[in-house]
Amino acid sequence: MDRKQIFDKLKEILSFSFSDSSEILDKCSESSNLITDLGLNSVGMLFMVISIEEAFSVSFENVNFSSFVTVKDVIDYIEKNRREE
Amino acid sequence: MSFVIENVFDKYTDPATLARIVDYPNVTAMWRECVRQYADLPAIDDGRAYSYSELDDLASKVRGMLEKAGVARNAKVGIFMPNSVQFVYSFIGCSTYGATAVLIPPQLDDVTLFGFSMKYGLDALLTVEAMLPKTGVLATKRPGFPVLDAGNPGEDRATDLDMNTDSPCAVMFTGGTTGRSKGVILSHRAVMRGTKNGCYGYKEVFNQRYFIVLPMTHVFGLIRNTLTSLYTGSCLHVCHDNTQMFKEIAMFRPTIMVLVPALAEMALNISRQFGRNMLGADCKYIICGAASVAPYLVKAWKNLGITLFPGYGLTESANLVSGNPDCLEHPDSVGYIYSGMEVKVVDGELWLKGVNMLDGYASEPEEEARSFSDGWFRTGDLVRFDEDGRLYITGRIKEIIVLSNGENISPAELEATFNECDFIQDCLVYSRIENGRELLVLEVLPRPAVIATVEESLRDSFIREQINEINAKLPSFKQVNKVVIRTTDFKRSPSMKILRKQD
Repeated sequence: MDRKQIFDKLKEILSFSFSDSSEILDKCSESSNLITDLGLNSVGMLFMVISIEEAFSVSFENVNFSSFVTVKDVIDYIEKNRREE
Repeated sequence: MSFVIENVFDKYTDPATLARIVDYPNVTAMWRECVRQYADLPAIDDGRAYSYSELDDLASKVRGMLEKAGVARNAKVGIFMPNSVQFVYSFIGCSTYGATAVLIPPQLDDVTLFGFSMKYGLDALLTVEAMLPKTGVLATKRPGFPVLDAGNPGEDRATDLDMNTDSPCAVMFTGGTTGRSKGVILSHRAVMRGTKNGCYGYKEVFNQRYFIVLPMTHVFGLIRNTLTSLYTGSCLHVCHDNTQMFKEIAMFRPTIMVLVPALAEMALNISRQFGRNMLGADCKYIICGAASVAPYLVKAWKNLGITLFPGYGLTESANLVSGNPDCLEHPDSVGYIYSGMEVKVVDGELWLKGVNMLDGYASEPEEEARSFSDGWFRTGDLVRFDEDGRLYITGRIKEIIVLSNGENISPAELEATFNECDFIQDCLVYSRIENGRELLVLEVLPRPAVIATVEESLRDSFIREQINEINAKLPSFKQVNKVVIRTTDFKRSPSMKILRKQD
């Protein structure tokens, strides 16, 4: 799975996080801020992390996810931890 | 009209179950009965199961530890630890010792913890080893102050005590009306009634499997989730890591979940995404409260075979004021008022009196004066009742935003934080649903003199970067999700105050 595919899958995950998110996700890029651009609150972040675990077989156990600021940070984490499998 | 309808919940529970739902004067009486009836049954599961007898022995060792440290029976004892079996037996040990358990949010830093110990006059602190680094300031500034490790309670035991029902049992903290943290004093009478109210309105009450993700320092987590679980001889699974909650649910197979609306919605969205009910086939009920529940959640969970009960409660009412029985024809209602309460509606605002109400605020005489009128507690919630006596929440009087995750936000407090920036002349914080998201919006009016020093094309990104920086330092539930930069002034009242409603 390359970076582009991870990004697309991540967008698909986020599309389930709220009832209507198409407008926001159309503008989503790697530099989007998770909180101020995508509107994720603490439960939204939890949703994203749990879904990523399910979809990518990546563990976030004992990871402080306040260290994820942008979409890029999340993709970096997925890439790094998938490679180590 | 009377808004309290006696026995409205009775027909949703069979008589044998109903006969087991009894009043206890204090935590000691309840706990003795739990241990007598359920001795060998599992009470808490945190990866290892603890029976009611084992938990009782650990609680008696906590009492022994308090006695050995010279802590008086009517002392105020802080409980400072994350959700854990240690939290549960510390609370039981403390309240059956006769002390008031002051439930301190575990995320507090070392200096604030010391401040709490002074402000609320703590006599001792129960904590666990992992939290000891945060007790350094307290230990230095208050030499001799007992900081006790509940994870290693020793072998000394002490007897329990039958407390007067009106004596204080717990102090819990709430954002409340002004947004400043306030300690709500709850008596044994209030805590016991709140615990009992959680038993009404559904069929399968006793010997259930509960699961806790909410903080035990929060009224919904302590009373509805933890104490009602113990009261009913159920087993409570303590979730250690929220990111692993669905894995833990799959293993523990809870029958009752207690969730804030945001978590109930998240579990639903994850279930939809992965095409299976993530709460498991054994889950029958979701008890949902602490913020307003979108009616669609009730229907969507019903389609997955789970009944979601919207309810209404406050820290000040030891949890539930009203709840729905198992007939949800009106999912937009928060149900019927529980017995033991007196209710009146004054200018649309709900006022309460009753056995489960608080005895006041700890060290906050001004707040107490503001919140009470002639012995009635003013909730600040605007309500209406329908002709059958169901309660509906229609708004808030006080300037507090209640987010769907149950967090209370004071917009004034957040605005004050952002107003400290020299480039912000004025700002406004409010919540808004946009594209299905619940957003905390910050609207700012830049200060022309300061902003003029930044090159025009860079002004927008300058402001956003500065705000993002402040935002990142706030606790996650207080972070704003959207920033709007204004080019014109806010609409204002004749006295030049910014109007909270701008449209």
